[in-house]
Amino acid sequence: MSSPLLSVSGLTKRYRRGVKIIAAVDDVSFHIETGETLALAGPSGSGKSTIARLVLRLVEPDAGRIRFEGEDFLALGGAALRSRRARLQMVFQDPLAAFNPRATVARVLDDPLRVHGIASRQERPRRIAALLERVGLTPDLAPRAIHEISGGQRQRVAIARAIATKPSLIVFDEAVSALDLSVRGQILRLLLDLQREERIAYLFISHDLGVISAIAHRVVILDAGTIAESGNARAVIDAPQSAIGKALVAATPRLNRTRP
Amino acid sequence: MNPLRRFLRVPEARAGVVILAALLAMALSASLFFPGDPQAIAGPALLPPFKDWSLPLGTDRLGRDVLAELFHGARTSLAVGIAAAAAALVIGAIIGTLAGFAGGLIDELLMRTTDAFQTVPSFLLALAFVSVVGPSLGVVVAAIALGAWTGPARVARAEVLSIRERDFVAGARVTGMHPLEIAFREILPNALPPVLALSSVIVAAAILTEAALSFLGLGDPNRVTWGGMIAEGRAVLRTAPFLSIIPGIALVLTVLGVYLAGEGVVETTAVRRSLS
Amino acid sequence: MTALLSIRDLTVTYRRDGGEVAALKDISLDIAAGERLAVIGESGSGKSTLALAVAGLLPASARVDGKIDWPGLGHTPLGGRDIGFVFQDPSASLDPVMPVGKQIAEVAYTHLGLGWPQAYAKARTLLERVRLPDPDAALHAFPHQLSGGQKQRVAIAAAIAAGPKLLIADEATSALDTIVQAEIVALVRQLVAADGMTLLFISHDIALAAELAERIAVFRYGGLIEIGAARQIVSAPRHAYTSSLLDAHLGLDAEPLSLQAGTPT
Repeated sequence: MSSPLLSVSGLTKRYRRGVKIIAAVDDVSFHIETGETLALAGPSGSGKSTIARLVLRLVEPDAGRIRFEGEDFLALGGAALRSRRARLQMVFQDPLAAFNPRATVARVLDDPLRVHGIASRQERPRRIAALLERVGLTPDLAPRAIHEISGGQRQRVAIARAIATKPSLIVFDEAVSALDLSVRGQILRLLLDLQREERIAYLFISHDLGVISAIAHRVVILDAGTIAESGNARAVIDAPQSAIGKALVAATPRLNRTRP
Repeated sequence: MNPLRRFLRVPEARAGVVILAALLAMALSASLFFPGDPQAIAGPALLPPFKDWSLPLGTDRLGRDVLAELFHGARTSLAVGIAAAAAALVIGAIIGTLAGFAGGLIDELLMRTTDAFQTVPSFLLALAFVSVVGPSLGVVVAAIALGAWTGPARVARAEVLSIRERDFVAGARVTGMHPLEIAFREILPNALPPVLALSSVIVAAAILTEAALSFLGLGDPNRVTWGGMIAEGRAVLRTAPFLSIIPGIALVLTVLGVYLAGEGVVETTAVRRSLS
Repeated sequence: MTALLSIRDLTVTYRRDGGEVAALKDISLDIAAGERLAVIGESGSGKSTLALAVAGLLPASARVDGKIDWPGLGHTPLGGRDIGFVFQDPSASLDPVMPVGKQIAEVAYTHLGLGWPQAYAKARTLLERVRLPDPDAALHAFPHQLSGGQKQRVAIAAAIAAGPKLLIADEATSALDTIVQAEIVALVRQLVAADGMTLLFISHDIALAAELAERIAVFRYGGLIEIGAARQIVSAPRHAYTSSLLDAHLGLDAEPLSLQAGTPT
């Protein structure tokens, strides 16, 4: 069996709060295969966002190992790490905060193409137009400022930025929870399309089990920085074993539609 | 409404702009109205103002045309004030951004250097610098900037510290951008507004420092300066007070104009923030 | 049942960038005394504007046409005394430099004419009622020392301190995680029932609204699309937009999207 796309083992991150030292993430291990969606679920403070930031090397862990595409990801630094980032992208929760407030759509998409030398200066406008079309937007959006476009459009631009460098893994940190219901459905379908065509794996962080059951293959449920349970998404949501899993399922609002 | 029109609706801003425009016109037209050396002798010595209309503001102890000196002095004051403030803002913004973004040892090093500069009175620093290096326009600009960059540096650092935690900076890192590009292309432009708000205070202070240096005889000796004119007039303060009063008024108006325009900018941006 | 308030032809326009934007258009609806009404809609639907209009909290720049009468009250309501308001973000609605006990006591002191000691005693009782662990310590805590859910409990305590007839919760649980959200919703339901309050619950989440409210009003683009009993809205929506909202809801039983037929992007 070939090694997984991403494997995380013994990941630990502690924070100092006053005199106390709190483990935000405590000995967490999981893996993601190529083209697979793994969801991280849990209440606030369970460490799911911290795990996202650790995996992306935005925060350095206190212990543990991260292997990505067969490499020791934690051993990389400087230019090597920056070039490897092309393969590991992220989409944030608040698409307005995730972009430079002064940026235009074109500049946001130009950056990854330029930084990783993917397209020459002359070629880039065409590539940007193609990216916009790929995420269901029209190319005439390119000159617009980020703050002028709608929330759903912004999140599509964020996805376009993430796929610009042809990544093998994208981390979504509550990326659909701020969106309107109708927009959310469209974005989730776009993600599934992209996954099917490009074989991109997703690490999908959400507190919403409904979204997770719609998009994830497997789920890891976290509680206070540790893994409470994990497994096939359908199986875990249908019959949670851990206390926190049961609480999450019980707390999710239900729409009891009796179809006429 | 565009920012310029909104700016001009603030009364302070309008007054400031009128004063600064007059001053700028004086500086730019100096060579046009008063070609030749303003320090050349133009008539009898100590001619009082409004007596001879070819020399409307009279002459000084050596018979130099006071009006010509005033025009050419405007040039020096504005040039030194703006150049020194610009230098201070650029140096301050760069050092503040580096300190805030890099953190750790670099931050510690840069900020303790800033402390060191801030503990020495900036005028004393300028005085010492000019007396060691020798007076010339460039040296005076450098001397003033040397004492003025610490304010912008502190403000820039504080802004950068809060901005670097924002998601878009994380986004730039995920994109694989070089740290220096993140610092200067992503963070610095967003940290600038509060730093620029300091500029009017710094320009005004720079003009005053330049005048004070010239008054003490440490200005560029080849240029007319208002501070130098006041110093010149000091010797005959009882018999010909106008020689000190006229450049003094020019200095007060200039500083007032800069402050008022700066106030206008602050008001305009404040209004815009409350609107959005 | 008598109407606590009745809204007639309510239109609210905001001036923005020289033009005028209608946030609410010709809204007429009654809220019965003691009922739980949920107003749902997506962003830009005007649901929050409705909440602010009812509470009299619209910015001065907004133009209001139409009227809101309060037959169930008999007088013009006073914000804070007759209407309690819980906002989405408790960190923004609580004063960061005032102990939470004082913030609650202040409401009781202002509206109930209590002296400070009684107002503090009332605040302590309220903190107990919203089930904050260790209410004595919480009296003297500052907002930053509490978790998001605890802060929202404090905000609720302050909102009900003066015994209002109407409690308005504007997306009061959407910043919280699922478990805390369920706790807060249960708390609101219990408080409303115990005090006989009327509840106006503003939310984007149709499932949550259906669990809590007796009636649901669906808003879109500033207009009232339909209003009816929660059961009817969920099971037999009259309007296509309501159906599309129901279809967009992803419940625990959501089929994987990849298995659903016809998935155009």
